[in-house]
Amino acid sequence: MTRKLTKKYLWLPLLLCLSFPLGVLAMENEDCLGCHNDRDSVGEELFIDAQIFDHTVHAALGCVACHESVTEEHPDDGLSPSKAVCLDCHSEVNDEYAGSVHAENASCGDCHNPHQVRGLADVSGHDLNQQCAACHDGAEMVQQHAVWLTQADLHLAMLPCISCHTASEENQIVLYIIQKESDAVFGDFVLSEHADLQQLAGEKAPQRLIDLNGDSFISLTELRTFHRKPANQNLRLQATLMPKEVTHRVDIRDNRYDCSFCHAAGPESMQTSVLALPTAAGSYQRFEVERGAVLDALYGTPDFYMMGTTRSASLNILGLLIIIGGTLMPLGHGALRFLTRKNRSQKGE
Amino acid sequence: MADKKQIYLQPKPVRIWHWLNALGIVTLCVSGAQIRFPEYISLLGDYRAVIKLHNTAGFVVAISFSIWFFYYTLVARNMGKIYLPSRDDLENGLLRQAKFYFLTYFLGWDNPHHPTPEDKFNPLQKSAYLAIMFVLVPLVSLTGILLTNVAPLRSLIVMIGGLKILVGLHFLLACSLCAFLFTHVYLATLGSSPLAHFKPMWTGWEEVEEHDEAAASH
Repeated sequence: MTRKLTKKYLWLPLLLCLSFPLGVLAMENEDCLGCHNDRDSVGEELFIDAQIFDHTVHAALGCVACHESVTEEHPDDGLSPSKAVCLDCHSEVNDEYAGSVHAENASCGDCHNPHQVRGLADVSGHDLNQQCAACHDGAEMVQQHAVWLTQADLHLAMLPCISCHTASEENQIVLYIIQKESDAVFGDFVLSEHADLQQLAGEKAPQRLIDLNGDSFISLTELRTFHRKPANQNLRLQATLMPKEVTHRVDIRDNRYDCSFCHAAGPESMQTSVLALPTAAGSYQRFEVERGAVLDALYGTPDFYMMGTTRSASLNILGLLIIIGGTLMPLGHGALRFLTRKNRSQKGE
Repeated sequence: MADKKQIYLQPKPVRIWHWLNALGIVTLCVSGAQIRFPEYISLLGDYRAVIKLHNTAGFVVAISFSIWFFYYTLVARNMGKIYLPSRDDLENGLLRQAKFYFLTYFLGWDNPHHPTPEDKFNPLQKSAYLAIMFVLVPLVSLTGILLTNVAPLRSLIVMIGGLKILVGLHFLLACSLCAFLFTHVYLATLGSSPLAHFKPMWTGWEEVEEHDEAAASH
């Protein structure tokens, strides 16, 4: 009888096993964020900023993908839900990371908040350095780099750390739009946000401010036109150097010690570029830019100048004419002086 | 040489300033050219070295400029007399001196200006040095100081019109100084002998004709 009963009810735990996780899987992110997006309910440590989280790749997978053991009864069941280990999905990163100097000092979570992390293309150069700044004090870094790097403060402010500290052999120039913070003459420039650009673009998409023909490909001519347009006088393009691939090794690229890696006219390292524009969702969308001397096309930007790289040809000619002018007096006067030397011969010259 | 007299024309601080300045400006011109055209000029080593050299030379010129400025304003107290063209200089002197350089010099006439410690420069020199020492050098130094401190002085640079304008200005001013250098060295050979004007800038003493009576009063 007991055996019969056991057999009869065997399907029950089976059904439980099957249906229970299904029920949890049916949990939507909103169900979790209902509480976890409220700092007061869950406290600082368990707070998830939904606005940031919604734009991460992880959000698309759903909370339950990583917190598998969460139950419908949560949090009344008193159990804390399991957390996935990053390497469950990102195993390929581990081999690379294990060989880096960071491996001994930081685990994944020390640099990447899984509820905020985004891909390289989705963040700006400014965001990128925030991960590094969590451990590497800005002032101290400037001091360390200043040992060999001229204007280290400027270099560190304008470039993401991974411009030089990366295993990626290839790199590309990323262009951003910056704008005057206010109408004040002293006004500093800040990264433009989507709303700012949308307002300027009117009914068109913001990229049409630069991409005039709307083919989602930015030609060097379009970059130049963008600068010459008087309506854009408070907007400027800024360029920064980024690795082409994300790597978890932060090797120092030795060729960066050679200033002419960047500071020369049209070096190979500066031929490929993309334009990164802010999206409504708070990340960045990249547009391919015509290959070539993109920094020269930026010559119109009054605040952008790279020594040895973005010099103006017309100023070169003007400068040369000035110097030639200085030699005319010695040459002309000297020639006449030589021809009339007899007039002064009695004076001992 | 009974009809020749020695006058002490260039006091030691002036000579120290002059040669520091000369060395500094020549170094700045060459290193500046390499910084602007790194793929064509590599005379002074790699880019990092040349930037360091350029900044150091700029610093030396700024220091020597202060030696010059404080010597003439605080020690000798004759800055105005030496560098400011007088009314007569402007009305007659400039023309007289230009006439000498471009005409009567070739005929073998004497230089109408006879230097004394209190009146070292002819009217043309005064005007040129006034522009160079009070406009050109301060401006090229100021733009240089801004360019070597871009991050901390960013908002000031934006106010001026941006890095590009600043760099353009620095470059053109530097070209003007370089152009002046050629003229300056050439004009220095126009003394009674080609080296006559170089000697006092080294030893301090200039040999002048006896008829220069004011000169005897140093």
